[in-house]
Amino acid sequence: MARYIGQRVLVALVLIWLVSTLVFMVLHLVPGDPAELLLASGNTAPDPQAVAQLRTEMGLDRPLMVQYASYLAGIVHGDFGVSLRDGTPVAQQLMLRLPRTLELVVAATLIASVLGIPLGTLAAIRGGGLADRLVSLLASLALSTPVFVVGTGLILLFAQKLGWISAGGYVPFAQDPLRHLALLLMPAGTIALSLWAIVVRMTRASVLEVLERDFVRTARAKGLGRRRILRRHVVRNAMVPVITVIGLQMGTLLGSTVLIEYVFNWPGLSGYLVSAVEARDYPEVVGIVLTISIVFVLINLIVDIAYAVLDPRVKLAA
Amino acid sequence: MIRARHQLYIWLCLAAVLIAVIAAAPILPLDDVRAMDIPHRFAGPSAAHWMGLDNYGRDVFARLVWGGRASLAVAFGSAVLAGIAGTILGLLGGYFRGVVEVVTVRVSEVILFLPPLLLALLVITILGAGVSTLILAITILYIPNYTRVVYAATLQTASQDFVVAQEAMGTHPLTTLWRTILPNVMPPLLVQFSLTVAGAILLESGLSFLGLGVVPPTPSWGLMIRSARSALDVAPMLLVWPSVALAGTVLLLNVICDRLQDVLSPRTAAVGGAAWLRRGARGAARRRASMMPAGKVPAGKLVPEELTGDPARDLGGDLLAVEELSVAITATGRPLTQGISLRVAPGETLALVGESGSGKTLTGLASTGLLPNGLGVAEGRALFQTPGGVTDLAALDEDGMRPLRGAQISMVFQDAAAALNPVHRVGDQLAEVIAAHRPMSRPRIEAEVVELLRKVGIPDPERRARSYPFELSGGQRQRAMIAMAVANAPRLLIADEPTTALDPTIQAQILQLLEFLKQENPDMGVIFVTHNLALVHEIADTVCVMYAGEVVEQGPVAEVFAAPRHPYTAALLASVPEAGQGRLQAIPGTVPQPGRMPEGCRFAPRCDFAAEACRAPQALIEIEGGAGPDGRPRRTRCIRWREAT
Repeated sequence: MARYIGQRVLVALVLIWLVSTLVFMVLHLVPGDPAELLLASGNTAPDPQAVAQLRTEMGLDRPLMVQYASYLAGIVHGDFGVSLRDGTPVAQQLMLRLPRTLELVVAATLIASVLGIPLGTLAAIRGGGLADRLVSLLASLALSTPVFVVGTGLILLFAQKLGWISAGGYVPFAQDPLRHLALLLMPAGTIALSLWAIVVRMTRASVLEVLERDFVRTARAKGLGRRRILRRHVVRNAMVPVITVIGLQMGTLLGSTVLIEYVFNWPGLSGYLVSAVEARDYPEVVGIVLTISIVFVLINLIVDIAYAVLDPRVKLAA
Repeated sequence: MIRARHQLYIWLCLAAVLIAVIAAAPILPLDDVRAMDIPHRFAGPSAAHWMGLDNYGRDVFARLVWGGRASLAVAFGSAVLAGIAGTILGLLGGYFRGVVEVVTVRVSEVILFLPPLLLALLVITILGAGVSTLILAITILYIPNYTRVVYAATLQTASQDFVVAQEAMGTHPLTTLWRTILPNVMPPLLVQFSLTVAGAILLESGLSFLGLGVVPPTPSWGLMIRSARSALDVAPMLLVWPSVALAGTVLLLNVICDRLQDVLSPRTAAVGGAAWLRRGARGAARRRASMMPAGKVPAGKLVPEELTGDPARDLGGDLLAVEELSVAITATGRPLTQGISLRVAPGETLALVGESGSGKTLTGLASTGLLPNGLGVAEGRALFQTPGGVTDLAALDEDGMRPLRGAQISMVFQDAAAALNPVHRVGDQLAEVIAAHRPMSRPRIEAEVVELLRKVGIPDPERRARSYPFELSGGQRQRAMIAMAVANAPRLLIADEPTTALDPTIQAQILQLLEFLKQENPDMGVIFVTHNLALVHEIADTVCVMYAGEVVEQGPVAEVFAAPRHPYTAALLASVPEAGQGRLQAIPGTVPQPGRMPEGCRFAPRCDFAAEACRAPQALIEIEGGAGPDGRPRRTRCIRWREAT
């Protein structure tokens, strides 16, 4: 197991390096350079002197490899430069806001799994029945409705029409735990919806497949109870592909947080990204994109490890 | 299949109508999308403005149609561009492999490690918001998906004979790619295209909603939802219209994508789940297939000893009496086995012999209620002596069967690697069969598990109990499987080809093990299902030869082997390799398929002795004076047995 985890960590580090390089390339290989674009407004060409000055300030006049090296060194030290807007270190904002975004992601994954796995299993058992068709229909709808539409719709219903909860906002957990959780519910539930649909579909397909396997027949031949067969032999084995899919969906989920934090005024990392993009604040955008990408890679690392715990054969194959 | 195709056409027509309306926006008599009518802002629906006016007093319906134009233009534009770029990369990578593959496929995959929306935002930061930026960003995002799909399909196609043949004839590689491989990768490409359009619409609307996509005053669905947010309390319908348009379009595309997949690669997955799982599960009894009127039922349906209908008396002193048991396909009623009758006494080993497809495994599964989905017992009984009395196994439902399985009747399956659950330790799988029937404390169960593993000859049982099935050798897995079967000292053990998947040396060891277990538990009856006649001689007391779903001959092993009374048995024996024997005799012809059974004797088409009388349905007939020393009668389904053998 230790060897397997070591291997996965190594792969994750390589991925982080690749992603950082990709971001660097996107910034520097596109026509025009950041300093020029930053100062350009509308169609007027920026003052060449100001551009040159900003270049020196941003270190853009150095050779590309030097810039790349200092960029990588910064990432290793957790130094993402200072914000162009207010001159504060970007890392400071990252540390403050990252946990809030992670909270959304974790809560959404939990909601999606807790509601998705049992319903997907039920749909598989009642294959072709009313429950199956109902769940499948709901999943299709959930997959087709954009997350910001769902979020705005929920605000319209629960905040505007029913007045059960405020339209959004954030209260630190330490300050008022109950209100914190109440405010978490809508954004997390909205993000969870599309993941839920995917978990339901995958669980259903996976359970149907496992039901046909020989070892399920063995379990029946052993005279085990229905519940035990379902829990220990069917669902347990069906979880392996479901976990994989959840891992694959994390990218989309992190993307959804951008929209949802904006819709619900959740002061996380992703909503912050929107304002950074609007202001074209390079260091901030790069810092946030990198942080979220690294989180993405780390989540996949966790998924890989969960995989090995669920299916002991995986360790051997590594 | 045809239904799926028709459904696809219906959905495609709907999509075509939608696209036509949106594309025709400039020539439709729509209001100017920029014309404001501030005094009448938020006006409700009217004849002139079907969906009312928005926060600037602009016609909502016109904006909806024009907004769809922006969404679809961005979505189709980027889907086509990404499709072209991704397809070229995938084709090149998959066809040329090597360095080209690294440059095209692997490099583009790095994009997949960035969350999609983030990459788009990065591009927008650099290039500024706008339709062209959107198309570029979304194109970049979807290139790797196409590349992957096309790459995989190309790999598959490129290795096929017709492509290799073209290479051999010296066709230029690019010609091959364009003319031969591209048409073959079209199906997955189409699915990917519809997925991309749906995904691109979601992305475009999301970015526009954030104010980073389409620039106002150009209408777009995402922008309309964005501006509706500020007027939720005044005019909630302003949110509803674009939301419905957006979700409906994506739903339409998703449905098309699903149907496309159905048409291109029909899924054969059985719908219906597993009947046994449902509460109040119907067992074999209520699942009984009404059997197809199978022509003439064989004359002399009754087995010679008269059945009284009283289970206890009919069973006599035997452990199991299968009587006239038929298994059929539930949906069609087509019989797979017909009129199987056999008996097993305590301590007796019965070999059920036949070629694959003869129905021997189905008979074993039917006796334990473990028939695959879609099959059911259509007729007959399977009387079984339980401690509490005689019960008809064929009539029990799942809940009635459960206490018997693993305790009174156990099964050993052919492929132990598949029959053991890969994710649980061997010891735990063994422990659960003990716990299910004899609840005890955990340490006592564990001690018993180790003892059982030792008994079936697994070395170092303490350690092996903690191993996973994949860590055991094939022979050890089968030993573990057998340990599970005998854990509760069953009265009846059904072993379904337990040695077929094993090496000959291991086979012999497993047979020895079964022999040893029979000595340990002398009252245990065994049904040994096999196609290997050589094994039968070694382990069985009686034999039951099956052919094409019927029993053709049964009797004590020694007698059947010495003097077979059915041409099929004789032919089967002649085809067994034996040391010092001359040429092996193959049986000419093949086993008839279910549904194409000859009306008369099923073996007649392959039989040298077939006569006119063999065209009529044949009954199992008892051979007088053929009863063995233990009283087991000899029966054959051949009326010409005197001449034929």
